[in-house]
Amino acid sequence: MNSLALNQFLALLYREVLENRNLFIGAPAVLAVLLFVFTAWIVSMAPEQELATAIEYLSVIFDGLSPVDMASIFMIPAIPFMMMLYFCGLIYLLNALYQDRKDMSVFFWQSMPVSNAKTVLSKVVTIGLVAPVFYVAILFVVYLIAVLWLTLLGFSYGVQVAGLGYMFLAAVASLALVYLSAFVTSLWLLPSVGWLLLFSAFAKRTPILWAAGVFILIGFLEDFIFGSQYLANWVESRSNPNQYFIYEFSDVTDRLLSYDMLFGVLVGSILLIGAIFMRRFID
Amino acid sequence: MKNIVEARNLEKHYGDFKALDGVDLSIPPGSISGLIGPNGAGKTTTLKALIGLCDVEGELTVAGKDPRDARHKLMEEVCFIADVGILPKWLRGNQLIDYVEAVHPRFDRARAEKFLSTTEIPPRKRIKELSKGMVTQLHLAIVMAIDVQLLVLDEPTLGLDIIYRKEFYDRLLNDFYDGNRTIIISTHQVEEIETLLSHLIFINKGKIVLDAQMAELETLYTEVIVEPEHLAAADALNPIYIRDLLGKKAYTYEAVPRAQLEPFGETGTPSVADLFVAKMKEGKHE
Amino acid sequence: MLQLKNLLLRNRFSVLLATLTVYLLVLVVEGAITGREARVVDFENPFFDLTMRDFQDFRDARIEDNESDFSSADPDVL
Repeated sequence: MNSLALNQFLALLYREVLENRNLFIGAPAVLAVLLFVFTAWIVSMAPEQELATAIEYLSVIFDGLSPVDMASIFMIPAIPFMMMLYFCGLIYLLNALYQDRKDMSVFFWQSMPVSNAKTVLSKVVTIGLVAPVFYVAILFVVYLIAVLWLTLLGFSYGVQVAGLGYMFLAAVASLALVYLSAFVTSLWLLPSVGWLLLFSAFAKRTPILWAAGVFILIGFLEDFIFGSQYLANWVESRSNPNQYFIYEFSDVTDRLLSYDMLFGVLVGSILLIGAIFMRRFID
Repeated sequence: MKNIVEARNLEKHYGDFKALDGVDLSIPPGSISGLIGPNGAGKTTTLKALIGLCDVEGELTVAGKDPRDARHKLMEEVCFIADVGILPKWLRGNQLIDYVEAVHPRFDRARAEKFLSTTEIPPRKRIKELSKGMVTQLHLAIVMAIDVQLLVLDEPTLGLDIIYRKEFYDRLLNDFYDGNRTIIISTHQVEEIETLLSHLIFINKGKIVLDAQMAELETLYTEVIVEPEHLAAADALNPIYIRDLLGKKAYTYEAVPRAQLEPFGETGTPSVADLFVAKMKEGKHE
Repeated sequence: MLQLKNLLLRNRFSVLLATLTVYLLVLVVEGAITGREARVVDFENPFFDLTMRDFQDFRDARIEDNESDFSSADPDVL
């Protein structure tokens, strides 16, 4: 990749972030604030003694343990953020090749020497590698504030808080798991990413109706004409939410190199190539 | 030298509607061509086809490339401004310049900034907060700073007031046009650009109805203010257009030698606007 | 070859049709070869119920130590 191609690609990613700052930064930030308000409310309701015990418990169970081993626990508080990420990702992909056609700015974007392949690829990289960065950054701030708060509370109750440092390190280590989960999921669901982008590039209005409608129609026709359910089975095999979270670092390579993953990437690529050709039709 | 645009038999259908119906174009380098037609005549479709933003059938070569296969390569040589307001509204002026600088190898940032400093555009404002005129100025600033062979302008001054319109064309001639570059402008406001054009192309209902150099118009078309006693003779020579003029009649002829018309009355070259009306009406009679 | 390309790239519907055809063909052929059924690839979360149970034990031990009385409500651990 020469430097022009690299600069072009970085500019495309920057464009995606600017255009979708509400989905990538605004949404998780609002979620974080809501979570704090909710937690503060719970804490204010809890009896002091109970709270002091809880803080001491946290300190004790993390004390001296490897943050990498304990990181998995922090996938639990990350779940609402990851659900938010996947939901925003869905909205993002549906609009990615549609919004600029709708507001006509596509005539500006397409008047620049950027190929359709690069444009479509930038959307995939944005959802798999760029958007998770912001979610991880906001989670980091959430954990930092939470640990400082617990430490201060612990001090005020006079309980032992040394282990909270280990807890914070475990929380930070879990951010790597969150990021890997998002990246691995974007590959695992590449067929869905491709499907959404294909219809985002195709639809003259309401891409979501086209994406869902054609899908249901094909599934129905398959069942009706051939009596088989390959499409339904295919989707079901990728629709268990547990597949979208990685709890241990050692899982990553197994998942990336599994046959199911590689086959998914292959068929996802077919749909992405379709989306690239579809991008020729912008009027 | 080879033509920068060569189009043969371009066709485009939207359902039953023929937006382009066999369009031929040959545009030499260094020319300023006006593509003029009423609304819905196929101007925008033609221009978008030239830069690969609209799929058409037929043979098409622009700057030596087929825009349908190599749009992104072609865009290194060609710039395009569509009707105002197509810049992404959520972007700020300076972010737009950052973007173009990163993706366009022929963009000269200093030149764009110098141009912008002569305007009143606040660089950090979002485009949606700018007036229509400012958005066009911003787009022009970017396009002027790109070293391209061909500039395609689709109704660039639509919806702008007269001051912005005049300034737009002044800048275009003084800062962009250097005699080597080619400009294609579409508009339905003929009078405003007729002085800058070297080529005139009329389009109506997806067909080219006139394609001539401005210098040729004089020999091709004659307008005669016919004296009442010569009306019958004037009618016999098949005028393409007759209009009323202060109690007299002005006849417009195509390809009739001027010497033959001089006995009928005062002769001259029709204005582009009159010629336009003549050519549009001609289509209706057929 | 060129004609095939022109046919496939004729309009947005032809591109959609071509893409979906290839996609479904690959899916069905792979499904037939591997005998794919609704194969749910499941991943367990080993830590999910660990923390709550441990906290109960921990708290119960504390209660015995302190001989104090707590209300019954469980506070959120995290």
